[in-house]
Amino acid sequence: MLRSAATNLLRQADQNLGHSSFNLQFVRYRRKPRWLPVAKSKMFRIPEHPEQSDEEKAELLRLHNHYRTQMRSVRLFLREEAQRIRQTSSADHLVMTPEEEEAEFQKCVAINDEWNKKISEERNQRLEADLQKTKEFVDERLEAFRERKEEHIENIDAIVKAEKEMAKTFITREKLDEAIETALANPIDYNFSIDLKRNMYHGRLTRPEKEQRQLEAAN
Amino acid sequence: MPTYELAFIVRKMSRPEVVSTLKRTSEAIWKKGGFIRKLDNLGSRALPHKISEHGLVHREGQYFNIQFDAPPANIKDLSDEFGLDIDIIRKNFFKMEEPPKFECTLQEEMLPPAYRKEVKDMIKIAQKKQKKKYQYNSGFDYYPFQK
Repeated sequence: MLRSAATNLLRQADQNLGHSSFNLQFVRYRRKPRWLPVAKSKMFRIPEHPEQSDEEKAELLRLHNHYRTQMRSVRLFLREEAQRIRQTSSADHLVMTPEEEEAEFQKCVAINDEWNKKISEERNQRLEADLQKTKEFVDERLEAFRERKEEHIENIDAIVKAEKEMAKTFITREKLDEAIETALANPIDYNFSIDLKRNMYHGRLTRPEKEQRQLEAAN
Repeated sequence: MPTYELAFIVRKMSRPEVVSTLKRTSEAIWKKGGFIRKLDNLGSRALPHKISEHGLVHREGQYFNIQFDAPPANIKDLSDEFGLDIDIIRKNFFKMEEPPKFECTLQEEMLPPAYRKEVKDMIKIAQKKQKKKYQYNSGFDYYPFQK
């Protein structure tokens, strides 16, 4: 993938040789890999360096020095000029006498005070309303809590009352003999059946009266 | 103290023996800090299957039911005690709870789907989810979107 992209780029580069932005040479994919050693034929090759004579060096140094000096002087001139303009010009700010400044300040203060007053009124109104709302909410909740509590107590009272009533029928040690006698004499059957007319027949073997009568007649 | 039901089966025996067993049972409950609300006799019947208990095979038994209140921590002790009693074949404790309140809604459930409330709600939700469609009678003589 990368290789093909590079190939494409290279092809483009070949086509647009004149444009410097595309005149790239990809070392990585066209030459030998990085890990291969220097070729034998190039092992003792010494690259040629352009040699500068002493006169040439001196001339270049002179030209460079000239250039740097001139640039520094221009830079300093511009900086001083800018500073001077900044101090003397009144283009970007108003120039006022102290009295005028004081008057301006007083005017600003008056406007500010007016705004503050207006906003504080609004704020007080809002706070008042909020407080009222909170009060109502708290009152409502307190009332609800009281009602809940009363209801709870009422429920408990009802339970206690019912239990007290029930306690009369509880079986105590004195009543045990009697209770056992009654129980043995009267067996209870929890089973029941219902028919489609919602009639309930208690007992495991109870039948509707009609059938019962028929049974008795048959016997 | 919560209310419990003790349902137990006593082996087939004579009446005085049954009475003494019941007295023993009640006494055990009182000793564990409970009180008895009710004592029911469900009659003597054949067991649903033969039961081998305390080295004897039982085919008949007398069913009893005792409603009592007792501290929950003592129920295990009572259970152990009745388990050792050779006259008791089977025993089980049940906590008595108020039956859940139930309202019959069969009439509403039997309605045709279009009249049921839950179906109506479902239709509403589906309608909400539907994408809005362009109305062709909105006055333009051309379709304003890409086809």
